[in-house]
Amino acid sequence: MSTPGDVDHFFRHEYGHLVALLSHRFGVQHISAIEDAAQAALMKALERWPTGGEPRNASAWLFSVARNEFLAQMRQGNDRRRILARYPVDLEPVPDKVPADIAIERMQDDLLRMLFVCCDAAIPRESQIVLALKTLCGFDIPEIALRLFASPASIYKRLSRARSVLRELSPGLVNLNEGEYPARVSSVCSVLYALFSEGYLSLKADAAIRRDLCDEALRLSGVLANHPAGELPEVFALMALMHFHLARLPGRQDGDGGLLLLGEQDRTLWDRTMIEQGLSWLALSAEGNQFTRYHAEAGIAAEHCLAKTFEETRWDRVLECYAILEQFNPSPLNRLNRAVAIAEAFGPAAALEDLAGFSPPGWLARSYIWAAVMADLHGRLGDAKIASYRARALAIAPSHATRKLLSRRLLRSTG
Amino acid sequence: MANQNYLCIQKSQLGHTPKGERPSPAQVQEMYGRFNAWRATFAANIVDIGGRLGAGKVVTVDGVLDGASIEAKEIIGGYMILTAGSVDEAAEIARQCPGVIGPGSSVEVREISTP
Repeated sequence: MSTPGDVDHFFRHEYGHLVALLSHRFGVQHISAIEDAAQAALMKALERWPTGGEPRNASAWLFSVARNEFLAQMRQGNDRRRILARYPVDLEPVPDKVPADIAIERMQDDLLRMLFVCCDAAIPRESQIVLALKTLCGFDIPEIALRLFASPASIYKRLSRARSVLRELSPGLVNLNEGEYPARVSSVCSVLYALFSEGYLSLKADAAIRRDLCDEALRLSGVLANHPAGELPEVFALMALMHFHLARLPGRQDGDGGLLLLGEQDRTLWDRTMIEQGLSWLALSAEGNQFTRYHAEAGIAAEHCLAKTFEETRWDRVLECYAILEQFNPSPLNRLNRAVAIAEAFGPAAALEDLAGFSPPGWLARSYIWAAVMADLHGRLGDAKIASYRARALAIAPSHATRKLLSRRLLRSTG
Repeated sequence: MANQNYLCIQKSQLGHTPKGERPSPAQVQEMYGRFNAWRATFAANIVDIGGRLGAGKVVTVDGVLDGASIEAKEIIGGYMILTAGSVDEAAEIARQCPGVIGPGSSVEVREISTP
């Protein structure tokens, strides 16, 4: 088992376990008191462990302290009678020597249950993500704000909205039956995917902060994929997709933190083990007859991972996957990405022809991505139309690193 | 010169409980890491890592009294024993110990006399 000193995120992850365990035991409507109790347990560990030594089963120690803390809070609160009636046994003081009664499997069950609770349809998507980051990943409000590029006040608001939904859940709904899992798996997958994308697609943050969100999304997806409730092609494909993207992260930046285009990246920096794992998940995801957007996206990412050089990319297969993706998840951004692949396979003229019949929605038309792709395609054709797109892309690029990448790419085209 | 042992006594002002922002789990991790790093750095100087002191009794000629009934402006929160070449060195080691000194709390470093 892991110990506090040698694991980077020990306390953050223990916090998530504590919230999940206590929520299952006492009901998620007590979420605020439960979070306070988990926090208090960590503080007590910080006070005791440095001098007294780490307990042999640190997780069990923390759980026992958090449970006592929670019950002590309840004794003072209005919920007292109800809780006491349900959990008379817990009022016995817990001895300092805690039996290792929380099995790992049990912990994973509770973590998964909490994940499903966070993905309740009654909670708005943006609040679901914040709730998962707070309760399951152990980030506090300023840390979440930093990672989602929002103000602490807005994160707090999103969290409050989620908590008020949880508080009002009727007790029967609080503890999901495993029978209710299948209906929610897709929603859980899309929250995990959104969490991952926040980390992966964000060009604004530094690499370490981005990596945190990706790692958390992967960790929670792993809990789901390794649980009987999550043994589904959709979940396996999501795991494959995340592995393929993470494998390529080390190549995305140059030594100075500048961003590199796919064609410029040193592919020897890509994480081979991650790619291998991704391929295993992809193979698993192909068993059964469910096909999802994650399959198509994982297929595209796999082609990139497997190509020895940019030039050797099998663009025909990439395009096949985009065509499938278009059926499952038609989106303007996918349409634009497909055009970029068409440009590689058949040249910029073919890509522009493909986009001719497409009118992008306002948010995309106004984005730097649209301007950058249009500038690139026109530039490669030697077309004077590049100028206005290029100027616009450079003007609205979201970060210094992006602007640098764009000017490198777009200034070498004439026009 | 041979090293001396020093008793480090952590004290807090009575009634002064720091009520700042509660640290996040990531910050707890960092504090824990810093303490362990301090301990590794000064492993050779730490004779007894000591610990926090709980409630107790005061024994006098008049009998045994509750600790709480003794008038004090400061309470002793914990102790440890260091070995160092001088009181200044011991004081510097104690100063570097994360989480020991802060608003309202201090460490007193006293040489333990040996014959």
